[in-house]
Amino acid sequence: MTELALVDVLALSAVLLGVGLFGILTRRNFILLLIAIEVAMNAAILNFVAFAAFGGTPAAVSGQAIAVVLVGLAATEVAVGLAIVLALNRLRGSINVAEAVQLRL
Amino acid sequence: MSPEDLVFLGVAGVAVVTALLALLVRELVHTIMWVAIFFVDLAIIYFLLEAPFLGVLQLGVYAGAVTILLFFGVMVTRKRIFSREAATGIGPYPLGLALLAIVLVATAGSSIPGGDLPIRSIAPATLSTTLFGVDGGWLLLLGLTMMSALAGAIYLVREGRDE
Repeated sequence: MTELALVDVLALSAVLLGVGLFGILTRRNFILLLIAIEVAMNAAILNFVAFAAFGGTPAAVSGQAIAVVLVGLAATEVAVGLAIVLALNRLRGSINVAEAVQLRL
Repeated sequence: MSPEDLVFLGVAGVAVVTALLALLVRELVHTIMWVAIFFVDLAIIYFLLEAPFLGVLQLGVYAGAVTILLFFGVMVTRKRIFSREAATGIGPYPLGLALLAIVLVATAGSSIPGGDLPIRSIAPATLSTTLFGVDGGWLLLLGLTMMSALAGAIYLVREGRDE
């Protein structure tokens, strides 16, 4: 049976969340923003898988089930995000989020 | 330190480096290639954590579908695919270091057991039984979300097309 330290996996997940947040806060290109959100989302999924791997049986199965649902949600989010990218590109001719100011007061 | 620990540390290092490179390189196509390696790397971690179904799902959905979608996004929005992004300057790096410090302090201050623990393996059959049984509501919710997202995406892409 494989043995790993739970804290190692959680630390990796926390660092990946930090990297994702860094990308979300600093990048202005919509596709890069989507990628940063995906990195942060993967960190969350990794957390669920880690607790599923080290938890008891009901927690383990539910953790993996929630992770499967989250993978589906993340894929959906990318599809909608890219539809927004296409709409933004047609409206403004650019996918820089700093230039998308139509909804600002 | 056991061989599994070494493998995990190596794979985790690659994951962090590829995620950082994906967000720091200036060409969008290179970004997508780095992020594809990151997704494959995470799939290896899922296999290490004895979640084979999720590993395969990660390879199919993320490393496959999401990567190709992102490539399409770049292809249809750029005149030249290999055009560079503007450099971000020194600005973001103090923020990144501050975020890393917060993460390290939060991890060091936690009371999570530090030693190696046995990993519980779950057969894909058990997982699918749960997905369609106990957690069936979640799957239904995911299906409804996907359908509404599909309708929304079609509306967004078709908006203004008839003008």
